[in-house]
Amino acid sequence: MRVKRIFTTLAVLLACTAAHAQNVIDLIISEVLAEPDSTGIVDDFGGRSGWIEIFNKSQGTVNLGGCYLTDDRNNLRKSLIPKTDSRAQLGPRQVMLFYATGNGDMGTFYTNFQIRPGSTIYLVSNDGRTIVDSIAVPANLPKGMSVSKFAHDNKQMVFETAAEPTDPSPRVLNGSQNVESNAQKMARTDPHGFILTVVAVSVVFSALAILWFFFWLLFERPAKKKAQPKKAPVAKLAAGKAPDAEVAAAIAMAFDMEQGGDTYAAIAMALHLYLSEAVHDNESFVITIQPAKASGWNNKAQTFRKLPR
Amino acid sequence: MDQIISSLQQFWQYTGFANVAWQNLAMIAIGIAFITVAIIKEWEPLLLIPIGFGMIIGNIPMFPGLNIGIYENGSVLNTLYQGVKMGWYPPLIFLGIGAMTDFSALISQPRLILIGAAAQMGIFGAYLLAMAFGFAPNEAGAIGIIGGADGPTAIFLSSKLAPDLMGAIAVSAYSYMALVPVIQRPIMLALTTKKERLIRMPNPRAVSQKEKIIFPVIGFLITAFIVPSGLPLLGMLFFGNLLKESGVTRRLAETARGPLVDVVTTLIGLTVGASTQADKFLTGKSLLIFGLGLLSFVIATTTGVLFVKLFNLFLKEGRKINPLIGNAGVSAVPDSARVSEVVGREFDKNNHLLMHAMGPNVAGVIGSAVAAGILLSFLG
Repeated sequence: MRVKRIFTTLAVLLACTAAHAQNVIDLIISEVLAEPDSTGIVDDFGGRSGWIEIFNKSQGTVNLGGCYLTDDRNNLRKSLIPKTDSRAQLGPRQVMLFYATGNGDMGTFYTNFQIRPGSTIYLVSNDGRTIVDSIAVPANLPKGMSVSKFAHDNKQMVFETAAEPTDPSPRVLNGSQNVESNAQKMARTDPHGFILTVVAVSVVFSALAILWFFFWLLFERPAKKKAQPKKAPVAKLAAGKAPDAEVAAAIAMAFDMEQGGDTYAAIAMALHLYLSEAVHDNESFVITIQPAKASGWNNKAQTFRKLPR
Repeated sequence: MDQIISSLQQFWQYTGFANVAWQNLAMIAIGIAFITVAIIKEWEPLLLIPIGFGMIIGNIPMFPGLNIGIYENGSVLNTLYQGVKMGWYPPLIFLGIGAMTDFSALISQPRLILIGAAAQMGIFGAYLLAMAFGFAPNEAGAIGIIGGADGPTAIFLSSKLAPDLMGAIAVSAYSYMALVPVIQRPIMLALTTKKERLIRMPNPRAVSQKEKIIFPVIGFLITAFIVPSGLPLLGMLFFGNLLKESGVTRRLAETARGPLVDVVTTLIGLTVGASTQADKFLTGKSLLIFGLGLLSFVIATTTGVLFVKLFNLFLKEGRKINPLIGNAGVSAVPDSARVSEVVGREFDKNNHLLMHAMGPNVAGVIGSAVAAGILLSFLG
């Protein structure tokens, strides 16, 4: 009972960890602008300020509510993203912008700190302790320029910070968006489909051949080595004594208790055939009952008529 | 009085009679044909009756905006159709298939697995043909999977690769699955000699419960590591089989292979049928898909039978395989295995091939799921 409880608790804890892991850790700070110039975007109040862009690299929606943004390693809970705002849900492969105005009371998408060149911006998980991602803002970052992260692998979503300052691209995914789909790539590289066919056929054969090999190695080979004809257990009635249905039924029930319903059915059928004289065994008054370790398929095979070879 | 006449005229505009087009009538006729064939000939009635009736439902002429059509967001049919569109139903059906399939035939003669692999050539043959006919690679992949002779896999893959063609692909796959006895028999006879048809295969060895329990675990690990994109299908198939074989989850296994698979089969058939609205279905592309689907079945059967003949060249006398089980490499379970048995007994009444044919047959289920995973990896 105690072990069961421990297992249940561990399972719940594991599930909670997994749920946490699937969400917030998929967020990155994809771009930061410290000091806007006169051409930068304006916030909802008409002002210009620095901003922080968050990108969700996962394939599921992530809730930023309850997470924190900060520029202070020693104060990870500096600027809270409100939990209650449903707009804090970030869709897959989407970005969200936070204005670093220094006044968090302006709304959900405003932080209570401003971005200083030379500082580091942190995105902190909703536990207030785990740093999900960070980005260093170079001290010499020119006004109106941003520091960005680019994915060098669009499938795995591995990001690297650009070495040089970049032109700001708020609310836009960084890097080229003209990534061709797999199908488009195949249409270009394999217009007739031969390469894919050869590769795919090889993989199908390999997968099933490996399966074959494993089962041959694990079961068929040892089974062949072990295969030696065993004498079937024989239940004999005393010679000369007439078959007694009650005795036969008792044997069947005893077997059933030991071996389950399948045996019961087989014995019932054997008795039925025997008592109705539909079959005749090698000797009179002998019923052969062989416990079947075999599968259903094998059982069926045994009912087929066997011809002499 | 004028008001009444005007109302009646308005009501007339709402009726199916006022909105009918010949295409609707054609599709309704096809639906009735499906139902007729299913009842009279008993060809795949569990599939063809829901699909046929779904075709009738989907082609009742109506004007849009009532929020009742299958392509109208939020309608009842649309909600049920999400299982097809988003690909929920096929893995659930695979769960049921796993819970009802006995892999003993395969475990006892693992070499038969390769026949299941060879028959998947139908998929890739149809893929090449579809590419030659100008389909985009993703569309060609979705069409090719018809050759796997596996309705749920065809729906799963087409919902991912070419949702617009899903109706035609699903109907084509299920129709040809129903026609397996008609399509396969002449090919099997044409490709085999009388001597080959009389080959008797040794009885399969007994398979222990331990082997049957280990099979789904090892089988899943190997196939899923090679083709992770086939995870929804392979995972459910082997999971269902473990429920069956573990011996301790009898209730779950019975639900999976009974009520669950019945409900999902009903819904998938009905909604796939209803998705064949004439305006979206009766196109030149659909006809081409039907043609390619037929060819894919022909190729799959041919390669399955020829592969066995080739395999036999390397086998000793007494270990040879009857090429009449080559057709069973397509995964139409258990119909294609049944065809092997019937054709085999035509030439030797005492030569039972069913248990041998079930090996490549269930290998075909695994093979088509693996092939679907590969196509999804390359084209998804």
